[in-house]
Amino acid sequence: MTTKDPESEHPSVTLFRQYLRICTVQPNPDYGGAITFLEERARQLGLSCQKIEVVPGFVITVLTWPGTNPSLPSILLNSHTDVVPVFKEHWHHDPFEAFKDSEGYIYARGSQDMKSVSIQYLEAVRRLKSEGHRFPRTIHMTFVPDEEVGGHKGMELFVKRPEFQALRAGFVLDEGLANPTDAFTVFYSERSPWWVQVTSTGK
Amino acid sequence: PTDDSDPWWAAFSGACKAMNLTLEPEIFPAATDSRFIRAVGIPALGFSPMNRTPVLLHDHNERLHEDIFLRGVDIYTGLLSALASVPTLPSES
Repeated sequence: MTTKDPESEHPSVTLFRQYLRICTVQPNPDYGGAITFLEERARQLGLSCQKIEVVPGFVITVLTWPGTNPSLPSILLNSHTDVVPVFKEHWHHDPFEAFKDSEGYIYARGSQDMKSVSIQYLEAVRRLKSEGHRFPRTIHMTFVPDEEVGGHKGMELFVKRPEFQALRAGFVLDEGLANPTDAFTVFYSERSPWWVQVTSTGK
Repeated sequence: PTDDSDPWWAAFSGACKAMNLTLEPEIFPAATDSRFIRAVGIPALGFSPMNRTPVLLHDHNERLHEDIFLRGVDIYTGLLSALASVPTLPSES
């Protein structure tokens, strides 16, 4: 599948690399660039696109593929659009160039956490839809800001909004982590953050 | 819950089994948005389809092989078909 000829790159990979080049890096993510990209995806996929601004400048984008039985609770595919900062001098390739080497490795901040997942959701829906599949349950894809700094201006507020209730989520998929072995890790719970400030007086 | 008495786990793990994926259920070692979702009572699983990949989130030279990425699209195709077809649950009627 790996291609050295950029002309014959798989279109899903091309889309992934395009999204990786949008500089949604903390502390000043280009959220506008990400939203424009997602709106264009919605248009091309024929999906509705809803924007919910939970705090000025912090928008949740929701792309929806209605099911055949919309009264059933939905499947929600969540991903965050922001990425953590970089120390560029330690990178072999520009972290926002999405360089693909001759072996097929794509280097970018966000390639694992978690722009890959966002594009995989979009491309899986595109494929299923174009093959003519229909499912009973509605699928919502939510793209949220602010996860890397705690989600306090993103998901934490969104779950309290009427627009979230209206999605009627029955089950949610969100990010996991890479696994160096043949197996895939799946997380059914997570640690509770408990920040502790230690003040040392030198005595 | 990660046993087949949970319909969502059954659908998720059943679809993975059908695709011959080996799953390792774990507790996420950090924190992510799922905690807000679970806090309002909605079941959530954390899953990024990246096997044979070094854990490089937040690290220098974060990267993903294009074949792993593309297989992930296939995996979600299977997962979404299964999850969006889960019949009405007793709790939903």
